Amino acid sequence: MASGVKVAAMTEQKPTKMVRPKHWDETVEEAYRFQTAGYRDAVEYQTLKPDFEVDRWPHNGYIKKLVRKNGYYNYFNKERECPDKEIHKTKIYMY
Amino acid sequence: MPQETLRAKTKYSKEANDKCIIPRCQPFTVQAMRKGCETDVGMPPMAGAFRARNKSTATSFHKFYERGDFPIALEHDTKGNKIAWKVEIEKLDYHHYLPLFFDGLCETDHPHEFFSRQGVHDMLEHGGSKILPVIPQLIIPLKNALNTRKKPVVCTTLKVLQHLVVSADMVGEALVPYYRQILPILNIFKNSNVNSGDGIDYSQQKRENVGDLIQETLESFERHGGEDAFINIKYMVPTYESCMLN
Repeated sequence: MASGVKVAAMTEQKPTKMVRPKHWDETVEEAYRFQTAGYRDAVEYQTLKPDFEVDRWPHNGYIKKLVRKNGYYNYFNKERECPDKEIHKTKIYMY
Repeated sequence: MPQETLRAKTKYSKEANDKCIIPRCQPFTVQAMRKGCETDVGMPPMAGAFRARNKSTATSFHKFYERGDFPIALEHDTKGNKIAWKVEIEKLDYHHYLPLFFDGLCETDHPHEFFSRQGVHDMLEHGGSKILPVIPQLIIPLKNALNTRKKPVVCTTLKVLQHLVVSADMVGEALVPYYRQILPILNIFKNSNVNSGDGIDYSQQKRENVGDLIQETLESFERHGGEDAFINIKYMVPTYESCMLN
């Protein structure tokens, strides 16, 4: 039953549009960190890992820790992690 | 005695008698004891201060990794390699794991080099107040890594030192008593820069220039090491000039 609810939630939250950014900003950094951990974005993370809150750095609000789909943990730096060469590979989803 | 050797010896003696010169011979031999004999000790051997030293035994990090003791896994995707931790870093015993990861800084082969570098980086980034009590245990691994004098190892260790001093409060000050162990190698390589004329030195862009990294590291030590830092650095690296007093 629970898995049925999860699947339903996932199907409801399908993105309608995807853009590839040209320049770095905080949204790109956020998406980069989620995609490094194996998720599409915050919506998918919340759907698949409802028990885990996104851990953030207090001084700038960047993501600090994410739980991967296999239960392992990914840790991220205090400052920008997304290099210039990865900006255009990052995907920004819209709903 | 073979005929050829005998002939050669006779010829040699004849030549020597003709010129009335006793040839130079190896020191500390029977020949050298002859009257009027000059010895030739040759050129002094190279001291090898800059030569890379190869470690003879595997590091503890290597052994522990092969045994599967580290709670880490390698995640590789299009964005490059990244460590996935099997447990939360906050729950790790820093007294056990941090010195082990530092021990792996001597490694040069994949994946040990990557795991130790990235593991140290993650643990310093998320350690906070747990780092300071472990400092005394980190000195010997740091010293061993620097003593290998291999360029990639020294570069990685210098970057780790720069990260270490800013990782938590008072860490810079806590390192001051250990300058005597850490800084001699920095003194040796301080002027290790490439004179490429007007050519491009790509190591500057990639942050692999040992001389520049040492200068940055020493400045970082001085900035975060408190009031005694400069005089202690100057004692070990006499050519260092303060970045704060001038």
